[in-house]
Amino acid sequence: MLEKTGIPTVADVDAVFPSEARLAQGPVAVIECFQRIPCNPCATSCPRGAILPFEDINDRPAINETVCNGCALCLTKCPGIAIMIVDMTWSAERALIKLAYEFRPLPEKGDEVLALDRAGNVVTKVEVIQVLLNHAMNKVPIVSVAVDKSLVKTVRNIRLDKRGSAIVCRCNDLTADDIKDLIAQGATSIDELKRVARLGMGPCQGRNCIPLVAGELSRALGVPVAQLSPGTFRPSVKSIALGDLAAYNEEGDIK
Amino acid sequence: MKNTADIVIIGGGISGVAIGYFLLKNGAKNVVIIERDYLTAGATGRCGAGIRQQWGTELNCLMSKFSCEFFENAGSHLQYSSDIEFHQGGYLMLISTEKELEQTKKNIAVQNSLGIDSRLLSKAEIKQIAPKVNTESLLAGAFHQRDGHLNPFHTTHAFAQAFKRLGGEIYTDTSVTGITTEGSRIKGVETSGGFIATNCIVNAAGGYSQQIAAMAGVALPLYSERHNILVTEPVERVLSPVLMSFSLNFYCQQVPHGSFVMGRTCDNQPRDLRITADSEFPVHMAKTITAIMPSLNKLRMLRQWAGLYNMSPDKHPIYCEAPELPGFYTAAGYSGRGFMLAPATGQSMAELILGLTPTLPWQRLGISRFEEGNLILEPSVV
Repeated sequence: MLEKTGIPTVADVDAVFPSEARLAQGPVAVIECFQRIPCNPCATSCPRGAILPFEDINDRPAINETVCNGCALCLTKCPGIAIMIVDMTWSAERALIKLAYEFRPLPEKGDEVLALDRAGNVVTKVEVIQVLLNHAMNKVPIVSVAVDKSLVKTVRNIRLDKRGSAIVCRCNDLTADDIKDLIAQGATSIDELKRVARLGMGPCQGRNCIPLVAGELSRALGVPVAQLSPGTFRPSVKSIALGDLAAYNEEGDIK
Repeated sequence: MKNTADIVIIGGGISGVAIGYFLLKNGAKNVVIIERDYLTAGATGRCGAGIRQQWGTELNCLMSKFSCEFFENAGSHLQYSSDIEFHQGGYLMLISTEKELEQTKKNIAVQNSLGIDSRLLSKAEIKQIAPKVNTESLLAGAFHQRDGHLNPFHTTHAFAQAFKRLGGEIYTDTSVTGITTEGSRIKGVETSGGFIATNCIVNAAGGYSQQIAAMAGVALPLYSERHNILVTEPVERVLSPVLMSFSLNFYCQQVPHGSFVMGRTCDNQPRDLRITADSEFPVHMAKTITAIMPSLNKLRMLRQWAGLYNMSPDKHPIYCEAPELPGFYTAAGYSGRGFMLAPATGQSMAELILGLTPTLPWQRLGISRFEEGNLILEPSVV
């Protein structure tokens, strides 16, 4: 299943979760690295040596759970955001989960945010207990949320429930709500949105935003994405410096 | 959709919405606009949207002055909720030949006599206004501060919203499929959304105006030609005026958003309504602009596209009622200036259709001038 969907099953998660006995002792890392890939920053990240040294760069990480103290340093080193910290001793009813969260804006302490499962479905709402980001953290913020203990193997990410928070067009700073507002004002095609809001007209030329906007249009108009015009894609495929274009000669050389 | 209208305007570009607005403003009722695609989908959405008042004939000076003054006061005229982005950084005309210099001096005399404060610039003065311009190959410049450029999308929507507020209706995604006549009388317009009975049609279809006229059996001496344009990534403002040169064959502006938009006239462009990209254009454009603004060397082009210039024999618009079909009006043939002329077009067409006293000398722009051999000779058209 994992190979097809990218979503680990309950059995996959069980296989990497620390023992009940270890969970009962306090914070500990959970490493959900399910496939052999050439990647090893975690293995060298732990100052206590809790993540065992790799013999081969393709090795999957193995953790000595009695040495791990749940410090969360490895969270900021894993490029795949595959590690989280679970603390079942945080309170009587709720566990504390620490997540590497690389989206912006960041939530704030005390916010109520949506908790997502490993498929991205909303499971429940959870409270943000702490948001950490300092110079030692490899630009990876850590968000701690309090989760009902029964959901500790279910919750894996969060989503902010703030209106207007999601940036859709990064080149021109358009949010999901900007797009929704324009659709509500009568825009019915990607080309119209381009012309009114410069959507897709920045350096990315729509590569990032247009699929997202097609989804919004599809939902708003009740038309399948496949039936929507993707808008006009124009040359050049890649941006070209005017100086390089000007240097073009009859032999067809472009620097 | 209405099944009857006093006036049906065909075309939802800047001309169509401006004509609609001025018609309602001047007392017309029950006016509708039909647009095949969406507002600005044609040449309006593809143009540079510059406006200059530096012309060689009184007619063009007056028309563009009227339009500029309208745009300057568009906020109070149109009550638009957003911004039409009128940047009045002036048009800086770059002069590189003696002939051009002589003509410019004559033009400036005409402009000044009509209250247009244009002036001749030395090379040093060019540098003051546009420090990044390489003046090496130039003789002089001409400048008028109140020229500039606008956002064509917002300007069109501003007119469209005002038109709707005055009671007009706009049908987008609606194609005109036929025009029904009986003898020399118009009966109505057939559209993909149904039939609209009317006795009055305004053909404001821009690049496609000849095809619309043909549906009514009206012949127009027009053709549409592809013109190319490109846009760069946005950067901090380094150029305030629109740069333009006849002898060097280009125009270039930096829009408020930061992008540079530029175009030039290319040889051998198709006249069959094609608007596909010309792969040679960016190379010629880049050679031209990096010679005149070497600091743009590293600026990257993001995109190129093309639109239609609707050309008339003397490169001036036609504002007329078809002699062979009363009630069939045409506003077309702007030859690349439909955007800047839009307020003048709207005002003139409203006066023509409603029988009002002319504010501008639009009678000079009738279709009979071609048969009479009374062409308009403007020295400063592209």
